Amino acid sequence: MPEAPLTVAAPATAAPPRPARAGPPPMVLFGFGWLALMLAVALLADVVSPYAYTALDLRNRLSPPIGFGGAWLHPLGTDELGRDVLARLIYSIRTSLLIAFGATIIGALVGTSLGFLAAHFRGLVEQAVMALVDFSASIPFLILALAVLAFFGNSMVLLICLLGLHAWERYARIARGLALSAGAQGYAAAVRQLGATPWRLYGRHVLPNIASTLIVSMTLAFPEIILLESGLSFLGLGVQPPATSLGSMVGYGREYLTRAPWILLAPAITIVLTTLSVSLIGDWLRDRLDPTLR
Amino acid sequence: MRVGAELLKAEGLVRRYAMRRGMFGRSVELRAVDGVSLTIERGRTLGLVGESGCGKSTTGRLVLGMETPDAGSVAFDGRPVPPPGTAAWRALRARMQMVFQDPLGALDRRLPIGVQVAEPLDIHGIGARSERAARVESLLLAVGLRADQGARYPHELSGGQRQRAVLARALATDPALLVCDEPISALDVSIQAQVMNLLVDLQERFGMGMLFVSHDLRAVRQVSHRVAVMYLGRIVEEGEPDAVLQDPAHPYARALVAAIPHPGRSGRRTVLQGDPPNPADRPSGCAFHPRCPVASARCTQDAPTLKRRPDGRMIACHVAQGDAAPGRGVLAEAA
Amino acid sequence: MLRFLAFRLARAALTIAMVVTFAFIVLRMSGDPAQIIMGADAPPEAVDAFRTAWGLDRPLWEQYFHYFGAILSGDLGRSMRDGRDAIVLVAERIPATLALTIPALLIKVGIGVPAGIYAALHRNSLADRIVMVIAVAGFTVPSFVLGLILVLVFAVQLGWLPSGGQESWRHAILPIITLGVGGAAVLARFTRSAMLEVLGQPFIRTASAKGVPWRMVVTNHALPNAAIPTVTIIGFMVGSLIAGAVVVESVFSWPGVGRLLVVAVSNRDLAVVQCILLLVACTMVVANLVVDLLYGLLDPRLRSAPRQATA
Repeated sequence: MPEAPLTVAAPATAAPPRPARAGPPPMVLFGFGWLALMLAVALLADVVSPYAYTALDLRNRLSPPIGFGGAWLHPLGTDELGRDVLARLIYSIRTSLLIAFGATIIGALVGTSLGFLAAHFRGLVEQAVMALVDFSASIPFLILALAVLAFFGNSMVLLICLLGLHAWERYARIARGLALSAGAQGYAAAVRQLGATPWRLYGRHVLPNIASTLIVSMTLAFPEIILLESGLSFLGLGVQPPATSLGSMVGYGREYLTRAPWILLAPAITIVLTTLSVSLIGDWLRDRLDPTLR
Repeated sequence: MRVGAELLKAEGLVRRYAMRRGMFGRSVELRAVDGVSLTIERGRTLGLVGESGCGKSTTGRLVLGMETPDAGSVAFDGRPVPPPGTAAWRALRARMQMVFQDPLGALDRRLPIGVQVAEPLDIHGIGARSERAARVESLLLAVGLRADQGARYPHELSGGQRQRAVLARALATDPALLVCDEPISALDVSIQAQVMNLLVDLQERFGMGMLFVSHDLRAVRQVSHRVAVMYLGRIVEEGEPDAVLQDPAHPYARALVAAIPHPGRSGRRTVLQGDPPNPADRPSGCAFHPRCPVASARCTQDAPTLKRRPDGRMIACHVAQGDAAPGRGVLAEAA
Repeated sequence: MLRFLAFRLARAALTIAMVVTFAFIVLRMSGDPAQIIMGADAPPEAVDAFRTAWGLDRPLWEQYFHYFGAILSGDLGRSMRDGRDAIVLVAERIPATLALTIPALLIKVGIGVPAGIYAALHRNSLADRIVMVIAVAGFTVPSFVLGLILVLVFAVQLGWLPSGGQESWRHAILPIITLGVGGAAVLARFTRSAMLEVLGQPFIRTASAKGVPWRMVVTNHALPNAAIPTVTIIGFMVGSLIAGAVVVESVFSWPGVGRLLVVAVSNRDLAVVQCILLLVACTMVVANLVVDLLYGLLDPRLRSAPRQATA
């Protein structure tokens, strides 16, 4: 911060104080709690996991979870190779969250940059970006993703980048629209005519001003990406073995639906609770920060 | 740096916009500015007055080089203004600045005032970092704010204080030219006079040339050394403010002057007839003729040019120039 | 209106062209298309013949136009698995998919829209809460989880319905419900928020303040305005009739287009994938076009250009 000497009284990053409001409703608190738990599990997977996720226990194959006749040895039971469901769940959470976070951030970066480019250059650049926006908004993303996977085969990096393209057009629309309105009348035009470079204008002024809207969009896109990844992995086209994700666990557990439903139910419940939590947080943030966004 | 020396000269500025009627309609050419020439002198103020939509704000942006004119040229300090967005254009911003109509919109509401006043110094690398705090403080004091208000956010200040902050930011680089686009119209009437007095004081102190754009003829008179009246993208009269106000020559200027509420005056006022101007549908001949009370047949054919009268006043009107006998107006003649 | 139509048609054509371009680029980037389409074990002379036939030995831009021309004339290549025309292969599967997606669409619209309107009109009532909880659940429960739970309950535990296959109409019930419930939830949530937004507008308050009966305010003013965003979503659902059941068809081993796509992707049967991609893009674009024309009916402002210009 070059202006540091001026900002003794108030740090530049502090948002204007908002009127005090009641805390988040219990459901949202639950969402935050669950999400925190998931993050902790993902970060500490190596520490909290009772076994390696590929470790076999051939003597205890298809053992049920505790409460259904299982033993504490495998709290959530085992699959037909005797692999511990809890351990696999923990590593699946790590994989799925990594993909979802990576993809959400890529989508936001790509979309926001293209939106700013469109707003800044107008003309042909804008037309091209908006045509791309129309294109990706008009094809179901799952189909597009499947086509790319068919052509390129599969890898974790490709999967993250591919899912990152989901919802990029939303950020692009938002970034373009808000940058245009800031430029037409407001502070962006003022800063521009102070002689600021585009980098300064967009990085220091426009981006911080639209950050809350972008963050809300990211919270709304995040559960969709979890669902997409788990859908692809369920179909066997996403995360490939030996790596495991929540979706691939469900897909794998499907074979044992009648004999060992716990293999499938544990990751299924995790998917539902995680997407539910982030959706609740997203809705709450939207109402709080940016009621204009639907 | 002599006061009164030529600072900026704009010649024959034309700015057209393609405007579409509705979403998919045919595009119509709209001449927002249609051949405007003006000169701004050092330490002096040119007032630009007219109804909304007459192109006065566009003229302000063209003068600053924020838009490129479709025809005509702008020379600042004898050199043409570089195209917008280039590095040379950005560097020139240190010498020409703008004050906006809506001070809240013109400020970044996420940053404290002090940071924003310091921003031009930062952008143009003026002064050492350690000196900037002192510079910001003196700027805030110069525009009538307290030094501690630099830590406030825009929404914590009143409208007048915000406009002072915008002024402080505009003056930070000690510019030679300041374009004020309706700087007081968003303010309370009680604050307007304060801000205008401040502008006059600041001009005396910093010596910048100003273009003061407003729809308010009285405000323009208070701050300007010369005034230009615009109608539908053209200047129709230009002269000394007091002279124009006391004895307007162009029928449109007359109507503007007559529209000023005057305490103690009663009786009939000249009221403009006809529709307000629409730049997309420009009348033939003199653009003002459909609303003009003295329009003659010639006015409907022939556009008058701006000519200098012996007393220095510039007027664009066939009747006022004595080239056509006063008619009774198109509406009256049609009736 | 004619201009509007021409503009939309051009836009639709552009989108299709972009999908074709996309397929071309992806195909070129993924390796030698001749080798990929002919298969790795194809004899070299056949690959060469293919190259000449498709003009792969010519400059890239020429290939691009060639490719475009081939697709325009309906030549979408052959499946590398059984050598049949990809388009025939895909066309065979369409009826099976439609047998699921059309009834599911009726469920979505028939339940989702009324539930959303009701919830919005009785905001914060018990019914609204229930609708919202179900709607949120419908969004957060992925279709494969819902499908498998339905199988677990109705096929495995209760034994009422078959768990997969396509032998009789009873086999279609679970997949249709799985598809319909999720979509109805999304639609209910969307309709509710569109409706609430309209109900909060000044013209609604004006109308009710003027003494217009509430029922009339809702039917004459609120519903037509809320319909515009809702129709967009329904249009998207109609557009995905052909490919909207990828996951569900896999869950229930239903031999539709979606199942074909998944199998084709795992076998890297590129001609089939490309054919489905283009087919989906075309239905989607046509559906969007119809939605746009419906807008014209719902919103007269878009139908003809306003007369006066705003300066």
